Order: sequence, then C-alpha cells, then structure tokens
Amino acid sequence: MNGLNPNAASQAAGALESGYNFAYLDEQTKRMIRRGLLKAVAVPGYQVPFGGREMPLPYGWGTGGMQLSAAILGADDVLKVIDQGADDTTNAVSIRRFFARTAGVATTTRTPEATVIQTRHRIPETPLHGEQILVFQVPIPEPLRFIEPSETETRTMHALGDYGVMHVKLYEDIATFGHIATSYAYPVTVDERYVMDPSPIPKFDNPKLHMSPALMLFGAGREKRLYAVPPFTEVVSLDFADHPFAVQRWEENCAFCGSHDSYLDELIVDDAGSKRFVCSDTDYCMQRREPFEPQQEVGQ
Amino acid sequence: MTVEHVSHWLQPAFNDPVLDAQVSFRAALKALAEPGLVQGMDRALALDGLQPATYALCLAFLDADTPLWLAPRFDTAAIRANLAFHCGCPIVAEREMALFALLDEPELSDLSAFDNGSERYPDQSCTLLIQLEALDGGSLLRWRGPGIRDVRAVNLPLAAAFWQQRSARSAFPRGLDAFFAAGQQVIGLPRSTRVLFNLEEAA
Repeated sequence: MNGLNPNAASQAAGALESGYNFAYLDEQTKRMIRRGLLKAVAVPGYQVPFGGREMPLPYGWGTGGMQLSAAILGADDVLKVIDQGADDTTNAVSIRRFFARTAGVATTTRTPEATVIQTRHRIPETPLHGEQILVFQVPIPEPLRFIEPSETETRTMHALGDYGVMHVKLYEDIATFGHIATSYAYPVTVDERYVMDPSPIPKFDNPKLHMSPALMLFGAGREKRLYAVPPFTEVVSLDFADHPFAVQRWEENCAFCGSHDSYLDELIVDDAGSKRFVCSDTDYCMQRREPFEPQQEVGQ
Repeated sequence: MTVEHVSHWLQPAFNDPVLDAQVSFRAALKALAEPGLVQGMDRALALDGLQPATYALCLAFLDADTPLWLAPRFDTAAIRANLAFHCGCPIVAEREMALFALLDEPELSDLSAFDNGSERYPDQSCTLLIQLEALDGGSLLRWRGPGIRDVRAVNLPLAAAFWQQRSARSAFPRGLDAFFAAGQQVIGLPRSTRVLFNLEEAA
C-alpha cells in the first residue's frame, strides 16, 4: 500500500496549462451552474436541471462533480479528491491533476487542509468543518428511478411529496431478506421534504450528512442534475419503527491502523481466501499510522 | 440614444472578471447556505445608485440568459448601459418575466408579480437582489431552517410588509429567494428559512 501520500510524479507534471479558461469551463457555463447551485441550496434535496457540458473524460468518471468543482473553485482553494475514500486511485489522481493543470489550485490529501473535496462514493472519516465544501459525483440522481422509469412521473411524485413507493421498496427488502438490504445509495429525506439519493455512498456515511457543518453539493453529469444539502440540515435515512436504520459494523479492526470506527474494505490476501480488513479512507488511516511509523513519509 | 452616449456612461466592472466573479459567487453561495450570516462582497465598485455588493451580485449572476427587472430607482441610463455592456442581460418591464430583480426597500411591499416557481420546477423562480441602507437596525427576528444550527437572530431593517409578502408567496418548495446587500456586505434569505416572529410560531 504505497503511494498514499500525494502522487509526487503527477503533481510535478501538473504545471498550469495555457489556452484554457481558469478551471477549464468557460465563464458563461460557470454562471449557469452557479445559478443552479443557488437554487439547489435554496431548495435542499431538489434536483435542479442544468446544461451539463461535455468534459474531457467519459460519463461515469465524475463529469458532474467536476463541473460543480470547476464552477466553485477559486485561486485560493485547496482541492482534495477521493475515490471510494482513497486519494491514490486513478479517478482521484486524474481529477486532482486536471484541476492542478487547468486552475493551478493547490491540492492535498489531508482532509482538514482541503477547502473543496470532490468525492466518489465516500464521506471522509475526519469530521468536516464549516469552511469546506464537499462535491459528490453522482451516477443516477433520481432515488425513484429504479421504481418509476418515467421522468415525468418522478417529477410529479417529488412535486406531490408522494414517496410511498420508496418505503414499499425497503419493505420488500424486509419481506425477502428479513432486514433492509440496501447498503449503499440509501435514500434520505432532506429537511422533511425531498427524498434524495445521497449518491452511492455506503449507508455507513449517511449519518454524516445529518447536520453537517460543511456544504454538500451533488453533481450528475450524464443526467444533468445538481442538488445540495446546506450545512446544518436535517437528513434522515428512511426506515420503519420496527426496522430502524442502522449502519454496518465490523468485528475486525483495520490491519494497518487498528481503527474500529472507520469503514473497512475487505481484502482477499491469498489463494486460500484469507481476509484482511483495511480502512477505505486512506488519509484517515495514514494520519492514525504516522505517529507510529514516521519513516513512512520519508520512504516515498 | 447613440453609441457615443452609451459608452459615455460605461465604467469598469470586475478587475479580474474570472476570479472576482468566483469570489463574489462563493460569498453569495455561503450567504445562501448559511442564512442570516453577513458575508463580505467587495470586488466591485459602486455604480451610480448600486452599492458595491449589489453590483458585484449583478456581475456574478447575470448574463444573456437572465432577464432582469429593475426597480424605478435603479432604472437609470448608467446602470442600464453598464449592465448591458458587462452582463448583456435583457431588462424586462414585466415582473413575471424576470429571473432576477433588483429592488430597493420601497419595492418590498409588493412582491406579488414575481415568479415563485412551480411545484415541478421550483428552481425556475425569481431571485431578488435587494439593496438596503444597512443590514441591521431593524427588529430582531429569529431564523430557523437549513444552514442554521439552531436559531439565528437577524435584525434586517425591513418593514412588516416584506415578511407578509414573503409568506404570501411561499408554499415550499415554491417561493422567492433573496439577497440583501448594503455597502460591501450581503445576507442571504432562501425560501427554506423559517422566520419566527414570536414564541408561538416556534414550532
């Protein structure tokens, strides 16, 4: 597990490109996205349609999150990008480098130092603070889409606050498996009004959405929707009185840092199927290990 | 009005159109995300009757896609010429057509004509940019809702008529979002904020 520190090679190659506007997008596009973000903040959980642009990477790689990041990033921002909690995976490294090159912004892997954190499918374990903005990459923004394929219908359902089918879906889980089997992209109600897809974060992260001090923005590039959860907003995971919402727990600890509180990834380490568990949030894991392993940083 | 006449009114806008627009937008985003907290907005100069924060909001938000309604006080040759040049926004006479409205205090007693969106598309509502003399000095009200941890006390100098108009146009998710600007400061008031006038309404 090397390369948890900033990827030195790619950052060095991140010299500012000429010929692009600051942060890649043109100003008219940024204004359009910014106006959408204001409405998204004013109506928490409501999906605002926006004129999504083609980005220089395929849909599914974070085009929605990148457009939001491009619209909010400023010269003084410090950007962190994570993919399933890790700073050193392809998606995270590429997007971090993209903004280092097109906007010249500083980048970091340290959660507390970042002002803008673009994330794919995790919320950092380190608690966020009020000067931070979290930008989520969202594949399917509509929580009702798998139940109702028609956009006209789901829009009406949101307008009427008609969310009964969402509970039916969770109930079917209970009828089939004896418990709510949905473990990621677990639907939430925002400020007692809109049912929202929190993006495919594990339900382990859902409680971090509730009354978070940081602003949370969600961007779906292919579906061309953006939405937001302002700071200190009530976000409640759907459940039943007799089947209350609960997050995953592990018997094991992280094999590197020993954490028992963080979200753990399961690794198969040999042909016999032996398992180890490690933190999904690499920065959190590194920070816990550093006091014991100071040589780790030098060794990069 | 000839071209020479129009250019005679023109003044510089943002020093750095890209980064100043970004800084102004981020302040506005924070203002709306944390209603009632004062944010600095100092990247523009005053323009005719527009104070720096009000003008910065215009420069950051407006372009050819955003029809703007001007209160009579702001409907001057200098403001029209500069908004046309720097933003290129159409200026409309009908309030119903406006996506943004530039208002001063006397206009706040009638907000009936501004678009407050629909149940299906609550985002297609008008955003009010309201210039005040100051952002405090009025009666103390308590705000609750998204962006406010518990309760926030705000004393904007507004007449009761504004709050009546606001609640008359509110049927969440429909509603009007407002920015209050004075000098180089802004306060945001999204439609999601519940304003409490007395203890009985605390629920």
